[in-house]
Amino acid sequence: MNRRILVAGIVLLVVAAVFAGLPGGLTAQGKVVKIGLSLPLTGADADGADAIMKGAQMAIAEINAKGGVKGYKLEALVYDSATPAAGQYDPAQAATNYKKFIADSLVMAAVGPVMSGEGKAISPILSEADMATITPSSTNPDITNPTMQTQYRPKGKAVYFRTVTTDAYQGPNMANYLFHAQKMKTVYILDDGGAFGVGIADSFQKRAGELGVKILGRDRLDPKEADYKTILTKIKGLNPDALYYGGVMQAAAKLAPQGYEVMPRVIKAGSDGVYDLSWPKQSGKEAVEGWFCSQASPELVTSQKLEAWVTKFKKDMKRDPTNYAITSYNAVLVIADAVDRTVGANKAVTRSNLRDAIQATKLGSIQGPIAFDANGDILTRTVSIYQWREGEIKYVGVAPEK
Amino acid sequence: MSTLDVLLQQVVNGLALGMMYALLALGFTMVYGIIELINFAHFSVFMTGTFVGLVVLSLMGVTATSQSLTGLALVGVLIALFLVTMAVTGLLGVLIERVCLRSLRNVSGTAPMITTIGVAFILINAMLLIWGPQAQRFPQLLPNWRWALGGAEVTFKQLVLFVVGLLLMIALSHLVRRTTLGKAMRATAQDADAARMMGIDVDRVIVLTFFLGSALAGAGSLFFGLYYGFTGYYIGYTTGLRAFTSAVLGGIGSIPGAVLGGLFIGLTQSLGGQLLGVKWTDVIIFSILITVMVFRPSGLLGARTPQKT
Repeated sequence: MNRRILVAGIVLLVVAAVFAGLPGGLTAQGKVVKIGLSLPLTGADADGADAIMKGAQMAIAEINAKGGVKGYKLEALVYDSATPAAGQYDPAQAATNYKKFIADSLVMAAVGPVMSGEGKAISPILSEADMATITPSSTNPDITNPTMQTQYRPKGKAVYFRTVTTDAYQGPNMANYLFHAQKMKTVYILDDGGAFGVGIADSFQKRAGELGVKILGRDRLDPKEADYKTILTKIKGLNPDALYYGGVMQAAAKLAPQGYEVMPRVIKAGSDGVYDLSWPKQSGKEAVEGWFCSQASPELVTSQKLEAWVTKFKKDMKRDPTNYAITSYNAVLVIADAVDRTVGANKAVTRSNLRDAIQATKLGSIQGPIAFDANGDILTRTVSIYQWREGEIKYVGVAPEK
Repeated sequence: MSTLDVLLQQVVNGLALGMMYALLALGFTMVYGIIELINFAHFSVFMTGTFVGLVVLSLMGVTATSQSLTGLALVGVLIALFLVTMAVTGLLGVLIERVCLRSLRNVSGTAPMITTIGVAFILINAMLLIWGPQAQRFPQLLPNWRWALGGAEVTFKQLVLFVVGLLLMIALSHLVRRTTLGKAMRATAQDADAARMMGIDVDRVIVLTFFLGSALAGAGSLFFGLYYGFTGYYIGYTTGLRAFTSAVLGGIGSIPGAVLGGLFIGLTQSLGGQLLGVKWTDVIIFSILITVMVFRPSGLLGARTPQKT
């Protein structure tokens, strides 16, 4: 009996060794380029991340249905970057996921991350590996800022590309909009302590100050805290025209209902961090009523040109799209285009060559032309403004640049 | 609002918050008083209570999108909600004691405490698995009535929280001071072996203590849900830690101490947030805790000398 198990074990080991020894091209049918997707698929921001994942998956499915890119099939490798302990995205988990991508020799590029806090953690890791990622949603400008190069891309070359613009525009343009269109004269500013939230609140505050808006105060919410009545009571006592919140959903889910209770009539605005279709479900329809939010992209979901795309997305993915589902879809197209040009130029499909090809992207897409500057930022810098009305996000217009 | 009105409003907010901490702190303090165990599972029993409340409400046909109730319907639903939820969380506490802690009763060292941390994680992950990671809305049962109090205002929710909380505490205090069971509890706290020799069923006393503490956590969890309008698997930690701090500050093992500590922490949180900023909340709370511990290691109302050797 024991000898039989031993023999079977040896046979198995030999078979495994033979297969492991074969080059990848022989065991797999055709050639594969894996695209890493590290997204906070659980936690407070799960809904936005789900839309982003499905945007990328739809692009991959479409490309493969047409036979792939010059003989290469695309394949998504998806990891969750949220942890139960954080209850939302976790930069340490994002770093772990990207290290796993790098350890997998078939992963040639990545789409993500969703959050700037993750971006700050993973950008130096990518720089070391010379691998590009394309973020469809993270907007903190530090990551691609050339003066912070030693911190976020120690090897120099841009590895963090974006199909959305940055908070160097998103925060200030919202300040412009509230000042010009909503006649904001005084404002209180909150952030959620995350890299994204602090950054965008800073840029909003700076621009609001330049416009002559009186900043009544600035404070920080702990996303895990339940009670925001203290700070809201304090803000109510200062009687501001507007409240600006820089941050993502975990704190916003509680800020909206308590804000509605304490000061229902104050103008309230956030960023793309609160452009989340599940917000009314998390906080109540009446609580989010009137909140402004933004997107670091042009409005796409309701655009006439995209009607067919949106219908297909709803049918294939069984949910409503978001703008960042579209920027994520396009991020995959950018990678596919880079693979196409790399193979076309008779170069090997490596991380480094793909990065170079992505840097040189000139692609017409459903969101408009996509091209990057030397730091990886997209050249189109449109910021769109939205407002929550009766439980739905309504497009208001393009935010003024001045 | 004038500065004074804002301060008054913060006092009202702080007292309501403090009441919730106090209810939760009572559970810590009662269990510690009897078996000298810091029961970290208490955080999670509180969190689980909010979900029990959600289930009870949905069984009665109340969901997140329902209108708030008034009159007899409201009173009826509230009484049923509190009774069932407190019974379920109480039984959960008993289950934890029976399954996880009884066999460790005479084990010295930190093993029982570590076990309670393990139980906390089991409950957190169970709720995460069942309800998912996103915040759940808690039905807004109570109407949005408010009354002026000087320049500040008191909401009906705050009033209910305060009055029901106070009634529960008076009932508990009566139970501990005036009933035979209370006498048995106090005797067990002083010396379990002597109590057993006097014919007290120590196991039964401990089980009842767990039941009462956990039932109070259940009441606290309903206040949390009704007051803030949401719940999530992660709410136990921050609230639980503050409540634990309240118990330690007031003097762990002391029932009036837990109430005093809870109100103190609630007020510190709201007034500290007003005067310094909410990002300093934890810094302020724990600085005060450390200062008190340095000068009065047994807490504000704690016994100066330990009763056990």
